[in-house]
Amino acid sequence: MSVRSTKLVPIAIGLTTVFVVILLLEFLISVDIIDRFLMPPPSDVFGAFGRLFAQENVVNRFFVTAGETLAAGFLLAIFGVAGGALLFRFTILRSAYETWIAALAAAPVVLSYPLFLVIAGRGSATVILVAFLAALPAVILKTLEGFSQTPGVYVLVGKSLNASRWQIFSKVMFPAALPSIFVGLRLGLLFAMLNIVGVEFLINTGGLGQLVNELSERYDLAATYAAILCVILVSVLFFTASEWLERRLRRVT
Amino acid sequence: MSSRGQIFGIRLFSVLMVLVLWEIIARSGLLYRDVVPSLIEISMALKNLLSSADTYIHIGWTAWEVALALGIGGIAGIAAGIVLGANDLLRRAYEPYLYYFGATPKLIFFPVMIMWFGIGPSSKIALAAVSCFFPVALSTLSGMRGINPVFLRVGKTFRANLWQTVGKIYLPAMHRPILTGLRLGLGLAVVVTLLAETKLSNQGLGYLVIQAFTIFDMPRMYALLLTIFAFAIGANVLLARLEGGRGGTRVGFSSGY
Amino acid sequence: MALIDMPVSNFLNVQNLGMRFGESDDPIIAIDDVSFSVSEGEVVSIIGPSGCGKSTLLNAIGGLISGFEGAVSLSGEAINGPHPSIGMVFQEESAFPWRSVLENVIFPLEISGMAKNERLERAHHFISLVGLDGFEQRYPSELSGGMRQRVAIARALAHEPKILLMDEPFAALDEQTRILLGESILNIQQALGQTILLITHNLTEAVQLSDRVLVMTYRPGQIKTEIGIELPRPRSSEILASDAFGHYVAQIWGYLREEAGRGMHQADRKSENIKK
Repeated sequence: MSVRSTKLVPIAIGLTTVFVVILLLEFLISVDIIDRFLMPPPSDVFGAFGRLFAQENVVNRFFVTAGETLAAGFLLAIFGVAGGALLFRFTILRSAYETWIAALAAAPVVLSYPLFLVIAGRGSATVILVAFLAALPAVILKTLEGFSQTPGVYVLVGKSLNASRWQIFSKVMFPAALPSIFVGLRLGLLFAMLNIVGVEFLINTGGLGQLVNELSERYDLAATYAAILCVILVSVLFFTASEWLERRLRRVT
Repeated sequence: MSSRGQIFGIRLFSVLMVLVLWEIIARSGLLYRDVVPSLIEISMALKNLLSSADTYIHIGWTAWEVALALGIGGIAGIAAGIVLGANDLLRRAYEPYLYYFGATPKLIFFPVMIMWFGIGPSSKIALAAVSCFFPVALSTLSGMRGINPVFLRVGKTFRANLWQTVGKIYLPAMHRPILTGLRLGLGLAVVVTLLAETKLSNQGLGYLVIQAFTIFDMPRMYALLLTIFAFAIGANVLLARLEGGRGGTRVGFSSGY
Repeated sequence: MALIDMPVSNFLNVQNLGMRFGESDDPIIAIDDVSFSVSEGEVVSIIGPSGCGKSTLLNAIGGLISGFEGAVSLSGEAINGPHPSIGMVFQEESAFPWRSVLENVIFPLEISGMAKNERLERAHHFISLVGLDGFEQRYPSELSGGMRQRVAIARALAHEPKILLMDEPFAALDEQTRILLGESILNIQQALGQTILLITHNLTEAVQLSDRVLVMTYRPGQIKTEIGIELPRPRSSEILASDAFGHYVAQIWGYLREEAGRGMHQADRKSENIKK
């Protein structure tokens, strides 16, 4: 078998499986083996997509969610990277706080959203804030890791040239750590997006997450499924895009 | 001062600073209406919380839901990971789906789960099971791929059958990746369960949190959050120790559900 | 021990250099009372068994470590820290992967704040000197190991240091690349009259490149002996194949072998102790 076909076969299998499942569902629902009030037939779901665009303003909602994600990402880039850099620069701080931050990464920070509801109200600010805090430990730790893993010899080169402390940081350590920092930011952005959609869903505010919630409360089954599929699509696209971006940046650095 | 002493000093200092600042803000009335309650009130609420039998019933509910979810999702995940790890074609066909689908927010499936399983604990268990399935499957899969092929060849030369190969070569090599996957899965299961409970439930810790919010009992909410965080962190540290190796910063991320 | 008369003009002067690590009652003496000189335009190699403190010695001279006993001076000026007149090339891969070849070589000039157009001119000069013409815009990941070391060498030369310290610069490379790079070094030395102090554990390299070879003892590191390499320059490939060359290699190995053996014994005894 040629190399081409061995690459395509798995993709074909995957896609075929998806199609078969969809067709199977359509069949089983149409003959009432599966209750159509539990699961609308795929044809209804695809039909509902149109409604999402026309009536539910899904494009607009997408931008709201995207905007919130970017805002959280922006905060993460500043505070997460600065935090990691500070911990690296001051070893004593690192020894004191690194384990605490790792512990915080394991805690369900997002559960404190009702608290932020009280503080910041039922709006985008709460969503962004909660997502930012939930993803922050990961970005800090990844940045710290990036700095720690810089080969010592690079710093020696700087020292042998009598470079100042700041020069060594800005011209050697930071560029060397950048690939890891990007990975951390990508991870943080992903976490942020997941949390944003989740919180939107829970507090019924914002973009796509809220859409799912609203449609479910209206008992519009087909549209609810369609909206969920929309979210899946958006997050997959987002994930792929960030992977591609990281790979491109990696080639340059 | 030795560095150990310095570290302790810094930690102690920061904790005290936070507590002092907190109390100052609480008493100043700067933030409106109880958003920052006094430490005394929080302590009282914590005491009431932990001394009430009711609390433990709710803890039991959440623990039960999480445990079941981890069991279902975990076993399914391990099975999927093993199957895909063993067969290269299947892996190349389906791993991308696991990978990309794993990166989506599962919480939004809750309405579907409610439709299918009702408004009781089952819907939350189902949701959390779906959530923790992915990290377990992916971790198991990566573990399978990481098994040194030499070991498998050794097994073949001794004519090991399928069960023996699985039991004596695969499983021992897999126990660390599987534990890692379960630890990550546990974190997600906990988060998803709690969040789902805040949305629609009348039992469990999540329910208690949203209830405190509804009646605007902020000290109680803080007490609940502190308790939950302590549990989650503790469980994670414990599991990380069990896993062996550098616990440290490999603690799971509860933010990626 | 064969000692050669010290040339009159001492450029680099190392006097009674000593370095110890660890607790004061049971220190590890890395190097002990090392004294030697390097004249302007000379290439001197230091060769010794693993763990004899060669790197420590070089780092001390280069100003990367402090707290040593004794003194180092260059052209009469005392050295106690990194100095622009001292360039260093390290054993590990040190070309910055995020900078192109040109940007790597410019790096020292950026640090010292040289004017932009001057920087470029300098950098281009040294890039062609090490034979990397045409590769200015490439990144280290696109280059071979040998070429990456050339980048590191060009970068170290960018400041036109009075003396170039090289710590086993070709250790990570295969034999053929080594020999080629060795020839490059010879060419550079010829063109610039560059003074070089080089650490190596490769006998042929030492003889190929140097005017003098210093053999170090095993820990505590001391200069065991000094051997002058009286081979004509330029060192062509015929010279590499000559009898005299082989004679020098054998001579150095004779001294080195004792020390290398001692080193292995020590390591053996240590592991015995650990087993107990």
